[in-house]
Amino acid sequence: MDNRTPRLIEARDLKRYYQRGSETVKAVDGIDLEIIAGEMVSVLGPSGSGKTTLLHLLSCLDSPTGGTLMINQRSVSGLKEDELTSVRRGFLGFVFQRFYLLPTLSVAENVELPLIFYRRAVSRRETLDVLRRVNLEDRAAHMPNQLSGGEMQRVAIARALITSPKILIADEPTGNLDTENGIAVFDLFRALVEEQGISVVVTSHNVRLGYRADRIITLADGKITREQKGPRLMQLLRITA
Amino acid sequence: MRFLSLALKNLLRRPVRTILTTAGVALAVAVAVSLAGFNLGYRRAIERSIDRLGFQVMIMAKGCPYEAATMMLKGGTGLLYLPSDTYDQVRSDPEIASITSIFIGIAEREASSIRGDSSNAFAVLTGVEPKSLTEMKPWLEFQTGAGFDGGRWFSRPDEVVMGYEAATYEQRKVGDTYMVNVSPYGSSGSVLKEFKIVGVLKRTGTQDDGTVFLPIKTAQSIFNRPDHLTILGMKLRHFSGASLQEFESRWAKLPEVQVVSLQQVKSTLVMLVGTAQVMIVAVTVIAILVAVIGVINTILMSVYERTGEIGVMKALGAFRGDVFQLIWLETLMVCVAGAVAGSALALGGSRLTEGAIKALINIGIQGSLVTITWPVLLGAFGGAAVVGFFAGLYPAWRAASMLPVDAIREGIG
Repeated sequence: MDNRTPRLIEARDLKRYYQRGSETVKAVDGIDLEIIAGEMVSVLGPSGSGKTTLLHLLSCLDSPTGGTLMINQRSVSGLKEDELTSVRRGFLGFVFQRFYLLPTLSVAENVELPLIFYRRAVSRRETLDVLRRVNLEDRAAHMPNQLSGGEMQRVAIARALITSPKILIADEPTGNLDTENGIAVFDLFRALVEEQGISVVVTSHNVRLGYRADRIITLADGKITREQKGPRLMQLLRITA
Repeated sequence: MRFLSLALKNLLRRPVRTILTTAGVALAVAVAVSLAGFNLGYRRAIERSIDRLGFQVMIMAKGCPYEAATMMLKGGTGLLYLPSDTYDQVRSDPEIASITSIFIGIAEREASSIRGDSSNAFAVLTGVEPKSLTEMKPWLEFQTGAGFDGGRWFSRPDEVVMGYEAATYEQRKVGDTYMVNVSPYGSSGSVLKEFKIVGVLKRTGTQDDGTVFLPIKTAQSIFNRPDHLTILGMKLRHFSGASLQEFESRWAKLPEVQVVSLQQVKSTLVMLVGTAQVMIVAVTVIAILVAVIGVINTILMSVYERTGEIGVMKALGAFRGDVFQLIWLETLMVCVAGAVAGSALALGGSRLTEGAIKALINIGIQGSLVTITWPVLLGAFGGAAVVGFFAGLYPAWRAASMLPVDAIREGIG
């Protein structure tokens, strides 16, 4: 990758080892990875290959046991929990396999949830704008139990977008969805990447969906075994160079 | 949406559990408010009742101080008498501003056996000297209206004045005849006595309402105790601790009498319910502890149920302090809601509480025994907030301490 390409995340020899009894589990074992602005990266691999652990590290939800990690050109090694939260705020957005929508809040209130913690005034227009981006503007007043699985995941994506993150990290976002809704979610990610320049890092079991990304990283036993770059990424790298 | 509404909506996710926990707090607050209201009301009622006796110091026959304390308020059948010449000895004391002598006798109501009303079979006949009595009790006034007009104090030996409740119970008016069976001292039989009612007093809210007043000489005569008195009631010129002590020591030399200040009576009456109060305080403390444990348990359970959500909140940008604040706020809201409900319950149930207390410890105190004031209610709110403050610390700390990655992982599991 060109040195002049802006790197949002940069990992060098990234490791995350766990101790399970006397056994050391190498969930992530010496990964080098860079995420640049405006790309969509798929992380593929079988269960236990280290996909989720890698995402947790890249999103500062977990701390590496080795290597270096730069988020937004800032080293996050040795930072405490609240310092890591500060790094995440406004820079990283999250989507999880389980939607984790609060059942007593409306769709709009769920989307606005992060802003409560940001102590930011909540503008309903802003919320509706974000909901429009995920095609749920007309569902703002609905409660989560009135939505389908695909709609709930789109609400979760809107919740991640309300803070205008530079990177959206999605861990198995289609895991609880049928194929049609899974495709819709990936289409949405593509639109966010291409129209708004947001980077998306997504893990998936579904190889067909994963191949819609600009870059496909395949993991096995905590290591990158294969990295494929699509034509759009090559073009993107040429532009940023 | 703000923290407050988020906390409220979190609590409403499990409405039954939240309501039950709040009810536990409400019950504890209701008990605490009722107890505080009783403490306050009881003291005020004692002071009111004793102040309405009209005198500051009593001289009475030596005996049980508890009996002495309650007799003037509630009446009693185990009467003790002091020699009537005590009056002559004491009245010359320069410290006495005014003095009145009282003779109390218990008579059997006429036809009480026919009514079958054994609990009200006895009548309290109080022999008084109207001039000195009304000096001490200037609030005594005669009832007016049909059948009551023209009321006056007695001027003849066979005339009586009835308290409001006594007249109501006997269905008597001014000019009617009042008859009682009296057992003279030293005689085994009873004698029917007939009196003319010359006045009915207005309600005073004291023991006087149930009393039949008659001339002291008549009372001494019909009970065949011409040389006895029940009480000497006095007002002192200087009613301070030192002068009272001096007065007491001066008259403690008399062999058959005791000097009882009404301040002592107040203390005695407070002591009388002391044991009951300790018991109620213990019950309150237990109720509060149970409520606190209930609150901690509920909030902790809710924290564990929302482990994944808490992890996601942290992932979305919530600091440890934000999560702490949210959970803590939920605890405070349960406690404050409990305080509101408990205070309302205590206010609504104060009459019931009062009835129960009076049934449990009836010592003849007149008026309201449970007084729930704003300071009492504010105290309950403050107490509930303090309880919420401490009860919320542990669950809030547990939630804030969850590592986001662990919380999300556990939530998924």
